[in-house]
Amino acid sequence: MPRLTARERREGYQREYSFQKRHGKPFFPNAVFHDTIVSLIVVALIMGMAILWHAQFGAIPAEATAERIGGLLGPAYEAKADPGVLGYDPRPDWYFFFLFELLRIFKTPELLIVGSIIIPTIWMVLLIGWPFIDRNPDRRLSRRPIALALGVTVPIVLLTLTFYGSKAPGAAGQASTEPGAAAFAGGACSTCHTLANAGTAGNVGPVLDSANPDYATALNFITNGKGGMPSFKATYTADEISCLAGYVATWAAAKGTTPGPQAASAKATYPASCTKAGGLFAGTATNAVGP
Amino acid sequence: MSTLLPPPGEIAMIPVDWVEERSGAISFGKFMLFRNVPKDISWLQTLGSALITVFILQSTTGILLAMYYQPDPDTAWSTIQWITNDATLGWLVRGMHKWGSSVMVVLLFLHMGRTFLFGAYKYPREMTWITGAIIFILVMGMSFTGYLLVFDERAYWATIVGVNINGTAPILGPALSYILMVGPEISTHTLSRFYALHMLVLPSVIGGLIFVHMLLVVRLGVTSPPWSRMQPTEGDV
Repeated sequence: MPRLTARERREGYQREYSFQKRHGKPFFPNAVFHDTIVSLIVVALIMGMAILWHAQFGAIPAEATAERIGGLLGPAYEAKADPGVLGYDPRPDWYFFFLFELLRIFKTPELLIVGSIIIPTIWMVLLIGWPFIDRNPDRRLSRRPIALALGVTVPIVLLTLTFYGSKAPGAAGQASTEPGAAAFAGGACSTCHTLANAGTAGNVGPVLDSANPDYATALNFITNGKGGMPSFKATYTADEISCLAGYVATWAAAKGTTPGPQAASAKATYPASCTKAGGLFAGTATNAVGP
Repeated sequence: MSTLLPPPGEIAMIPVDWVEERSGAISFGKFMLFRNVPKDISWLQTLGSALITVFILQSTTGILLAMYYQPDPDTAWSTIQWITNDATLGWLVRGMHKWGSSVMVVLLFLHMGRTFLFGAYKYPREMTWITGAIIFILVMGMSFTGYLLVFDERAYWATIVGVNINGTAPILGPALSYILMVGPEISTHTLSRFYALHMLVLPSVIGGLIFVHMLLVVRLGVTSPPWSRMQPTEGDV
């Protein structure tokens, strides 16, 4: 197709559009009629979903810890937020599943930024700047092969990411009975980290079986936070933090019941600190899902 | 006396004429309603108006929810429980606000897909696309900030993950996380900040952009489908 000058383009467009407008039909009642029908369908759909959601689960139970999971329209009422809660597997709402899945793809610490910032930023720039990128003046799909290919690929990629994001594994594994394992699996750690010994499969932070930190590093990160990881100074006592750090150093990259390569760095405090911390930290619980 | 009064039809027109003379609102309304659109516009082109309907629905249900909701970690969850269990039709208002947000995201995708396939972002409608794209990103922001307000387990942990993702950005990331959470962790201030963003900042910006978006649509006219056969012939200029 020959390249048009700005003036030819403008005049061509104006000739065509003023013709279509002159031979068009008034907005009311023609377009308004169609708009009204579609709007009514959409409102009915939203009301239907709200009614179905409510009919399925009814009133929220009085106690703040009550949960109603499952159901046709996804999780319903959940327990009140509790920072100290054990064994919660966080998941975004469905429209952020694609981002959630991107993070699972780029989960090593060096690549994390690709999934979390770089790709979403490129998407946003492409989205806003698209009219300046696609300079082909033709609007018929048969003359826009590249746009058509993109228009098919992008939804497929997004739907695929959303699908796999929705199926992303939770902290479903079984924790070992080592001291600290149940606390790791049941606490906030499992939210973000994968550690085979604890049976967790979090996908936000580094996989501890590959990162394999020594005791001092783990202690420092849990206490002070690092990058995206929050500080747990206020959540856990010193003994509990020491227990978790010792557990991670000892059992990350462990082969079965043989401790991992950093186990020696934790020898001085682990598992003594776990016994001192007591409860879930002492290593009596066997279930990853919490008490 | 009665002969001095104009006929009833004219009396009824007095306030209408009064408004028209001072604002031009009546002739503007007539222009909006009776302006011509291309003959062959399709059902696919109703998605934009459906989105405005959902925006109005979200605003209305949102205002009703705001009358009862308290953005405080201790009471947020219980006020929502109260709205759902005890307020008259509260469950419906809350349910419609929740599901309305999902429907809005889906409709945005479809509306954008339709615009893309029609090539309706091309000259002279580039600005309409850009305002729409910004609205889309801001609506995702609405979803993210609305999420925490429920203050259940899912809301809490998903927000931590979301804020930490922001935190991985170079240079600005940690500062952005700190600004979003108002400190190193989720607190009363986080909740009221998200609430202010969710019900004041983002909706007003989105509302303003929708206004500009619609002005552009009216000014430039509704696109005819790319398969339109309504083409001017040689003698028809």
